[in-house]
Amino acid sequence: MRKDYKKLLVIGSGPIVIGQAAEFDFSGSQACRSLREEGYKTVLVNSNPATIQTDADTADAVYIEPLLAENVAKIIEKEGVDGVVSGMGGQTALNICSELADSGELDRLGAVLVGTQPDAIAMSEDRELFKETMERIGEPVPISRSVNSIPEAKEAVEIIGRYPVLIRPAYTLGGTGGGIAYNEAELEEICARGLAYSRIHQVLIEESVLGWKEYEYEVMRDSDDNAILICNMENLDAMGIHTGESIVCAPCLTLSAQDHQRLKTAALKVIRALNIEGGCNVQFAFNPENGDYRLIEVNPRVSRSSALASKATGYPIARVSTKIAVGYTLDEIPNKITGTTSAAFEPSVDYVVIKIPRWPFDKFRTVDRHLGTQMKSTGEVMAIGRTFEESLLKGLRSLEIGVKGLDRVEIADGDIEKELREATDKRIFVMGEALRRGMSVEAVSEMAQWDTFFVQKLKNIIDMEAKIASDLTPEVLKEAKYMGFSDEAISEISGKTPLEIRDMRKSQALVPIYKMVDTCAGEIPAQTPYFYSTYGRHSESEKTDDKKVVIVGGGPIRIGQGIEFDYCCVHGVMALQEEGVKAIIINNNPETVSTDYDISDRLYFEPLNLEDVLNVIEAEDADGVIVQYGGQTSVNLAVDLEKALAGTKTKVLGTSPDKMDVAEDRRRFSKLMDDLNIKQPRSGTGYSFEEAKAIAEDIGYPVLVRPSYVLGGRAMEIVYSTDELKTYVDTAVKVSRNHPILIDKYLTEAIELDIDAVCDGTDVYVGGIMEHVEYAGCHSGDATMVMPPFTIGQDIIDEVVDITTRVALALDIHGLMNVQLAVKDGQVYMIEANPRASRTIPFISKATGVPLAKIGTKIMLGKTLKDFGLKGYRTIDHYAIKASVFPFLKLPGVDSILTPEMKSTGEVMGIDEDFDRACYKALIAAGNKLPTEGGVYITVNDADKERIVGPAKELKEMGFTIYATKGTSTYLREHGVETTTVFKLDENQKPNAVGLMRDGKINLIINTPSLKSGALRDGYTMRRLAVELEIPFMTTIQGAEIAVGSIRVAKSGEIGVRAMREFHTFQ
Amino acid sequence: MAQGYLVLEDGTLFEGELFGACADAVGEVVFETNMSGYQEGLTDPSYEGQILVMTYPLIGNYGIVDDYTKSPGIHVRAVVVREFCKDPSPMYSGGCIDEYLKNNGVPGISGIDTRELVIKIRNNGTMKGAIVSADADVDKVVADLKASPASDEENLVAKVSCKEVTRTDSSKDVTVGLLDCGAESWIAKALAERFNVVTFPYDTSADTIRSSGISGLVVSNGPGNPAHPAIMETVVPAIRELSDKMPIFGIGLGAQVTALAMGAKTYKLKFGHRGGNQPVRCNGRVHITTQNHGYSIDEGSLEGTGLVVNQVNLFDNTVEGVEHGELPIFATQYHPMASPGAWDEEAVFDKFASMIEGVKF
Repeated sequence: MRKDYKKLLVIGSGPIVIGQAAEFDFSGSQACRSLREEGYKTVLVNSNPATIQTDADTADAVYIEPLLAENVAKIIEKEGVDGVVSGMGGQTALNICSELADSGELDRLGAVLVGTQPDAIAMSEDRELFKETMERIGEPVPISRSVNSIPEAKEAVEIIGRYPVLIRPAYTLGGTGGGIAYNEAELEEICARGLAYSRIHQVLIEESVLGWKEYEYEVMRDSDDNAILICNMENLDAMGIHTGESIVCAPCLTLSAQDHQRLKTAALKVIRALNIEGGCNVQFAFNPENGDYRLIEVNPRVSRSSALASKATGYPIARVSTKIAVGYTLDEIPNKITGTTSAAFEPSVDYVVIKIPRWPFDKFRTVDRHLGTQMKSTGEVMAIGRTFEESLLKGLRSLEIGVKGLDRVEIADGDIEKELREATDKRIFVMGEALRRGMSVEAVSEMAQWDTFFVQKLKNIIDMEAKIASDLTPEVLKEAKYMGFSDEAISEISGKTPLEIRDMRKSQALVPIYKMVDTCAGEIPAQTPYFYSTYGRHSESEKTDDKKVVIVGGGPIRIGQGIEFDYCCVHGVMALQEEGVKAIIINNNPETVSTDYDISDRLYFEPLNLEDVLNVIEAEDADGVIVQYGGQTSVNLAVDLEKALAGTKTKVLGTSPDKMDVAEDRRRFSKLMDDLNIKQPRSGTGYSFEEAKAIAEDIGYPVLVRPSYVLGGRAMEIVYSTDELKTYVDTAVKVSRNHPILIDKYLTEAIELDIDAVCDGTDVYVGGIMEHVEYAGCHSGDATMVMPPFTIGQDIIDEVVDITTRVALALDIHGLMNVQLAVKDGQVYMIEANPRASRTIPFISKATGVPLAKIGTKIMLGKTLKDFGLKGYRTIDHYAIKASVFPFLKLPGVDSILTPEMKSTGEVMGIDEDFDRACYKALIAAGNKLPTEGGVYITVNDADKERIVGPAKELKEMGFTIYATKGTSTYLREHGVETTTVFKLDENQKPNAVGLMRDGKINLIINTPSLKSGALRDGYTMRRLAVELEIPFMTTIQGAEIAVGSIRVAKSGEIGVRAMREFHTFQ
Repeated sequence: MAQGYLVLEDGTLFEGELFGACADAVGEVVFETNMSGYQEGLTDPSYEGQILVMTYPLIGNYGIVDDYTKSPGIHVRAVVVREFCKDPSPMYSGGCIDEYLKNNGVPGISGIDTRELVIKIRNNGTMKGAIVSADADVDKVVADLKASPASDEENLVAKVSCKEVTRTDSSKDVTVGLLDCGAESWIAKALAERFNVVTFPYDTSADTIRSSGISGLVVSNGPGNPAHPAIMETVVPAIRELSDKMPIFGIGLGAQVTALAMGAKTYKLKFGHRGGNQPVRCNGRVHITTQNHGYSIDEGSLEGTGLVVNQVNLFDNTVEGVEHGELPIFATQYHPMASPGAWDEEAVFDKFASMIEGVKF
C-alpha cells in the first residue's frame, strides 16, 4: 500500500568516477519518474550537471550541490522533506544516508529513509555484522576478520592459515584500496592503503576464493515479504577479478538448474535476513570442484549490476524498487511491458547477454593494465544475441577500441601464457590468438581460469575464421553472419571489401532481423519497443508509417566521451517527440538513460558500427538520422552514412557531413579560417621526424604535437625541444607517410575559451562562453571552467561572439557547434571548431536554463532560432563553475599533471551568485579536501611569484603555516609573508615537502612548474603522493587563487543551498 | 548433420538440423521457458506425448547428469532447440545431450528460430507437429497431422504410471499413498522422508487403496487431459470414493483430477503453463512457481463441489490451487518442491501431515 509523504528526496551519485558511472543517472531518473507517476512531490540533489536527472523537470526541485551530508540536511530542512530515497545514488548516497541516520540528523529533521534502511546498510557494509548475519541464517561466507591495524591483519592471516588473502576496505566505492596479498610484505602495503581509504579505518582480511567461479543474483523484495529473482549473471573471469572488470554473461550459462536453485534460495534468504525492501545484488563465489559456495558481497541498493540486469531482462529494477520503497507490493505494481500483468514475476529471457568492460588504458600509457579486485574500467558495453558467439562479437565491436570482433593481437608466443594467467584488458584477444596458434581449449581454460564452455565458443569463432579464409561460399557467409561476424571482420579475413561483403549478403537476402526484449521469452504478448538484431527468420520490429528519426548514441562511457553525450541523445529524443516525430535510439551502453526502453519510441541495443547502424535505418526505413549527439562515435559515421544513404529517403540531419568534414580536416579548416580572417596558431604536418623537426623549429618551441589519425586528444603532447620531439616520435606514435603528425604552435599562458552555439543557417545563438581557469594546453575536458568569463573584457567577448557567429554561418551549421578559442596578448586565436554536441552542452544548458540540445534537434527538423526568440549572446547573472574529477587514485602509475590529453572521468558544477562560493562548491563537489587549517606548501615558477603573494598572504592571515622552497620562500618573505623554508626533493635533506606531506603537515599544495623541457616530469613523485594522500594540488596560479577564495568561503561557514529554479535563468 | 523439418499442422515449416536419435516424431508442440533445467524437462513424465520447444536458445551447456532427472527416462517425443551444446562445461562431468537423446531413442532438431515458433504457439494455441527428415513429403506430413488425433486423446497416463503397487517402508509412524499418474521422482522421495509410502498404479481401485493401510493420499502430476475417458473411469471415481475417507493432496494433473472427482470441470489452456517463473497468489502473498500443465480447473464449475479457489495465477488469473471447505482435501496446480525460496516444500507436506494427524475417519 502506498504510504504518504509530503516530499521525497532522491540523492544522486555525483560525478562519474571509476566504480560509479552512468548507471545511477539511469536509476535516479527512473526513480524520480516513478515517484512523480505516483503523485509525490520530489526533490533531487546531485552535483553532476551532465545527467538527465539534474534536468529541471526531473523533480519539483532540483539542487546541483556538493553531495555532503550537511548539504543534504540543509535541503531536507529547506524543502520540508520527510522521506529520503536511499538506494538510488550508489555508495555515495548510501554513505550520506547512513551518516545522517547515525548522527541523529534525520530524526531531528523529522525525515525517514525510504527504501534501504540504516540497519540493512550496516549489515551489508560492515563486514563483521554481515558475517554474523549470514552465520545466523546458515549461509557460508569466506573466513575473515575485520581489522583496524596491520598487526591485527597479520593475526587474521594466521587464523585463516594461508596466503593469498584478500584485503577489502569497508565503505569505499569500486573496491578502492583493496587487493590480494600473496605474502606478508604485500599484506602490509595493501593494508596501509586500504585503512587509509576506509571511511571507518577498517579493512577485512579474507580467505581467498581465487579461481572459483563468480555468480551474481539480482533479487527484489517488498514489504509483504514477497521476494523474487530478476536475473542471474555469470562472470566469465574467475574470482579475483572485480565483477566490474569481468566479462559477464546473463543468464548464467554453466550452472545447473539444481545449483541455480541453491543459489537463488540463498539469495532470497539474504534479502529477507537483511530486511531489504527493494532491489539487492548478491554475489557468490562457487567452487567448481565440489559445488561449495560462499557469499561474497551484498549491495542493498540498485547498482551497476542491477542496471545491467534491468537492460538484460527489460525488468525496470529502479522503477519497481522505488515503488516498493514507498509501500507498494510487487503485485500492486503494473508491468508496463505486458500491460496486463504485474511486477510480481521472474523474467525469463531467450537470448544471451554479454557485458564487456571498457578500460581507459588507451589514455594512460604508463598505467598498470592488470585486472584485479580494484576497478579500473570507466564504462561497459552490453550486447544481446541468440548465441554466445553472436553476443560476444557484437559486444567486442561495440567497445570503440578499433576492433571488428575477436581481432588478432601482436604477441610473442612466449608471452601468451603470462598474458592468459595475469589478466589485462587484452586477455580475451590473446585467448583468441592462443587458439589460433593451436593451443588447446583445455590449456587456454586452465591458464585463464575460464570454463572450457566459454573457451570452446571462442574456438568456434576461430574455426569460422578459417572457414571464411579458405572459401567464402554463400553457405559460409550465412554461417558467419549467424555466428555474429561483422561485414568488416569477414572482409578483413576474406580479403574482400566490406562493401563487397554487404552486396554479397544482400544478394542472398542475408539481412538481420530484430527480436524483442520482453521479460517473458515470448510467453505473453508484450508492447516493449526494445529490440536487438540477430539472424533468423522472423523479425518483430514491424515498419510503421510514422515519421521517424534515428539518433546514434555514444557507446560506452570512457575518458573523453562521458555521460554528456547520453544527455544530448536523450534530449534529442525528447525534442523529436515534442515535434511529433518518433525517436529511435541505437546504443550499446547498459548504464545510461538513453537505453531505458521507455525513453525512446524504439530502442535498438546494437553496436555503433556503420553496418549495424545502417541495418537499423534500413529496417526502420527512417526519415532521418542524427549523428551530432553521440560524440565522436556517431560523428565518425557521418560521411560514410551519407554516402551509403545516398538515393534513399533517409537524410543525415543537421549540418552536412561535408561541412563536418571541413571542421575535421585541418587543411580545409585552415583555409576557411584564412578566408574568414580568423587567426590560428601556426601549424604544419610532418610525414617524418625530420619534417616534423623542421616545422617545429620554424614555428618555434613549444609546440603541440599529435598524430593525425586519432581524435579526442589522444597522444597529444606539448613538446619543448627537439629532444622531446624525438622521444615523442619514438615512443608515443608512429610517424609515416600514411600517419603524419600534426604540429601546432603552443600558445603559452594563453586563456582558453569554450563556446557552445546553435545555428539554423541564418542566425546564431551563442549559448555560453566558458573561460578555462587553467592556461590553454590543458584539455578542455579536464579544465576547470567558469561561466560567464571572469577575467576577459567585453571587447574580447564581443570578438568571440563575432568569430563564433561567422564560423557557424560559414560551416552552415544546422544544430550545435562547439568552438575552442585562445586569447593571448589581446589576440583571439581559433583552436578548433566541432560541428556537433560537445561535452559542455548539459553544463551550459543548466547554467542558463536554455536547453541547447533540444533546440538543436528542432532546428535539424526545420525550425529556426527565431521560433525560440534566440539570437546573439546573453550573459547570466550568477556563476557556474565546472570542475573535473580524475581517476588517479584508482590508476597506480599515472601522473596527475594536466596536459592536452584528457584524463578526467566526470565533472561537477558549482553554481552560486557569488564567484568564490560557486568555486568552493565546485571544488568540494569534485572531491577536493580543501583544508581550513594546517599547512600549505608553495613552490612557483618565477613568472608566478608576483601573483602568489596575495594568495599566500591571505592563507597566512587565515592561520595556515606556509612552507616554501628557497626561491619562493625568499620572495614571499621579501613581500611580507612569513614562511618556513623547506628543501627541494633533489637536495635530499629534511625537512622536505614529501616528508611533511607524509607527516600530515601539508594540507594544500600550490606548485606551478616552469614551462620548460622536462620540468613537468620533475614533480611526479610529489603529485603522486598528493593523489594517494588526497591533498589538493594546484598546478596553476589561477587554480591557487580559486582554492584560496574557496577556503575563505569554507571558513566563513555561510554556504546555503539553492534550487536550480531560484537562479535567474532565461526560461 | 542431417537436415530436417519441424512441420506444424497449419503447414508452417521450420528447417533445421536433426540431432539425437535418427527417428521421426509426432506430438503436441509445447514450449517451456526455463533458462536451465533442460534435463529435468526432458524427463518430466508430464511431457509424455509432446514435442518440447526450449525457449532458451542454448541447451545442454552443463551436460547431462544422472542426478538431474525427474524420472528414469525421457518422456518428450522430441526436442526443438535453437542450439544444443556439443562441448558442455566440464563442471559436472556431464555428457552431451546429443548422446543422451540418441541413447534414449528421442530425436531433436536444432537451428530453429524458436522465438518465432513460440510466438506462433502463443498466438494460435498448441498445435500438432512432426519432426521429419529433409526428404519427407511435407504435404503428406501436414495432411497426416491434420487427420491424426491429438496426442492427448491417447491414454498418456497409462504410459507413465507404474504397473504394480510398491511399498517403501522407512519405519515412519504414518503411511501414505501415492497415486502415480506419472509422478516426478521428487514426490516419492519427499514423501519417503516423512512417511512410509505405498505407490499405486493410476487405475488402482478405491477399495485396494483403502485397504492398504494408508492415512492419506497424494495424487501425482501426470501428462495429458485429466478428463480423458480412461481417467474418468479410473482415477476420478476412485478419488471421489476416497474423498470423505482420508486426506487427499493433488499436484498438477492430480489437482485437476481431484477437482473432477469433486464434480468440477477442467478445460484446455490455449498453450499451457510451462516454466519456472509463474507467479501465484496465495493468502495475499506471491510465490514464484514451477509449472507444467496444459489443462486447468474451471473456476466457474466449482460451485457446489465444496472446493474453493485459494491460489490464483497472476499471469492469466487461472486457478492454481483449491481447497475443500470441510474435508481435508487440497490441491496445487504447480509443483511445490520445484519452487525454492519463496515456497519451500516443507509447508505443503506439513499441511498434509497435519491434516492426517487432525483427521480420524
